[in-house]
Amino acid sequence: MPRDNQTLLDLYRLMALTRALDGAIAEIDGHWHGLEGEEAVVAGAYHGLRPGDVVAPHYRGSLTAACGRGADLRKLLAGLLGKATSYNRGRYRSDVCGPPEFNLIGLYSGALGPPLAYATGAALAIKLDGRDDVALAVFGDGTSSRGDCHEAMNMASALCLPVVFVCQNNQIAISTPASDGVAPRSVADRAVGYGMPGHEIDGNDVLAVHDTVQMAIARARRGDGPSLIDAVTYRVAGHFVSDTVEDRPPEEIERWRARDPIALFRRYLVEQGVIDDGDLGEIDQAVSAEVAAAMAQAKADPDPGPDVLGLDRVFA
Amino acid sequence: MARQTFQQATVAAIAEEMRRDPDVFIMGEDIGKFGGPLHSCLGLWEEFGAEGRVIDTPISEGTFVGAGVGAAMQGKRPIVDLMFLEFLGLVVHQFGLDGGAMHYYSDGKVKVPMVVRAKYGVGPFHGHAYDFHSWLLNVPGVKVVAPSNPADAKGLMKAAIRDDNPVFFLEHMGLYHAGREEVGDGDGVIPLGQADIKRAGNDVTVVATALMVKRALAAAERLRNDGIDVEVLDLRSLVPMDEQAVLTSVRRTGRLVVACEAIKRGGSANEVVSLVAEEAFADLRAPIARVAPPSVPVPYHRELEKLYLPDHDDIADAVRRVMAA
Repeated sequence: MPRDNQTLLDLYRLMALTRALDGAIAEIDGHWHGLEGEEAVVAGAYHGLRPGDVVAPHYRGSLTAACGRGADLRKLLAGLLGKATSYNRGRYRSDVCGPPEFNLIGLYSGALGPPLAYATGAALAIKLDGRDDVALAVFGDGTSSRGDCHEAMNMASALCLPVVFVCQNNQIAISTPASDGVAPRSVADRAVGYGMPGHEIDGNDVLAVHDTVQMAIARARRGDGPSLIDAVTYRVAGHFVSDTVEDRPPEEIERWRARDPIALFRRYLVEQGVIDDGDLGEIDQAVSAEVAAAMAQAKADPDPGPDVLGLDRVFA
Repeated sequence: MARQTFQQATVAAIAEEMRRDPDVFIMGEDIGKFGGPLHSCLGLWEEFGAEGRVIDTPISEGTFVGAGVGAAMQGKRPIVDLMFLEFLGLVVHQFGLDGGAMHYYSDGKVKVPMVVRAKYGVGPFHGHAYDFHSWLLNVPGVKVVAPSNPADAKGLMKAAIRDDNPVFFLEHMGLYHAGREEVGDGDGVIPLGQADIKRAGNDVTVVATALMVKRALAAAERLRNDGIDVEVLDLRSLVPMDEQAVLTSVRRTGRLVVACEAIKRGGSANEVVSLVAEEAFADLRAPIARVAPPSVPVPYHRELEKLYLPDHDDIADAVRRVMAA
């Protein structure tokens, strides 16, 4: 797929931003669901969408999706801290639920699965309105076992809706390895059962992710219906930062760390002559400085008092 | 004016709203050519099917209600036909937990203007009778409507469709085809949260919804012969509840009986009892009485069913007890 240098650098920047955010948030939030190792999936999936497209991200990568759509980093981090300056003035957490004004569908409770239905419904609205936007639904291998996942894929295919389903397959659901939770060899194999194309791809290859997602988006825009992409990656991070229970073999984690998606992409960019190491380092530094500044501002931002929050706005 | 059944009035409201607002559409199982179980969508396919606004869905209740939430977030006004209330457990997460929280959590940026309609209640059809609506009273951000007659059904359905929140609309199968009543031709929107005094009286207030209103009215007629003047207050919507109407009535009569088709334990009628106990205790001249089924699954045989569900005699007995106290 033809791509320009700007796209390549944008993808790199989004990966680097994801990594920098991951590190900065891990320092202040023991319950942060880190995504070290999964940056290629989120950057590849969330780059290159149109404003009218609707995205229901995996919670691991929800902030990346928001950043990729133009949300303000300081306001997002304020949302993590529940500050009055956040997009919802502290009413809800931003780490799993992005601002809806960027056409993001977050988790509005702790259960995984229903957002696949919301994305399917958004696609239905898109179709009813005759738009050529799409809905992108991203979920984990754990969520792929939910009935919601089956129902959403079946319904999206039966009604020929413009949905792109992406499994951010980090091969583990909290502690349950995908081999114990996912019956078929690949989540992508399930696509056959729904009469839609299925693609199993290397989720540590940002270009493979981006190209495949864009291809599926183009198909959906044409009105040809949904696709399922199984982007196989690995959660090098724990389930959350202070997750001390780790019984995966250390050599398995090291093997995947050696396939770090950011390191792989850096090598590619340098080899292709897109950018040199020095300039990549500058991007890293700029991104880190941006995150540090946003975090400092967010920390200094005011907490919402009862006068701000109140218990109103429950009903529209 | 036209004489319509509950079912006809409800479908008429939906058709009129679909004509008025192109964002309104309806989806559910077997609602297309089939016309919906018990004719819940009769005629809609013929008028709106070609526009793609009457959508038959797979048997995936959680997901088609969730799709309603997702479409509503995009500005559509979906009506979702859940078929039966006994499927509520399959959709509480999407409709209630998430759908009811979105407006608050987004600080008012997300609206979820959708209606989920469901048939329920002990009636002529011998199945799907469970009345689980009380579960929803413990979920913030959703409204619950339970009309008792055709005219109310039409006016309340219109209000539900125009409401910007998730609204659960209950359609009692014992009322569905149970006779025609005058229903206005005009817009006739009945605001949610407005109770209606179906019979004015001075001695005791009976608060009810849906089929229990009909039975309370029958009880009131019988009690008239005993010289007891019963006021029957139809809540019409459980959420929002017209607390003022309840309190005004009870403060005047000094006596309260609540009648509910949901089982007594945890039933929505208890909310009325709590309200009066908190706000109008000093005005009570007798203990409050509750008339509701026992904590038993809805039984099958007609005799058992009769034993289970309060009828006009049960309500009349409760009124007499309260009057004698």
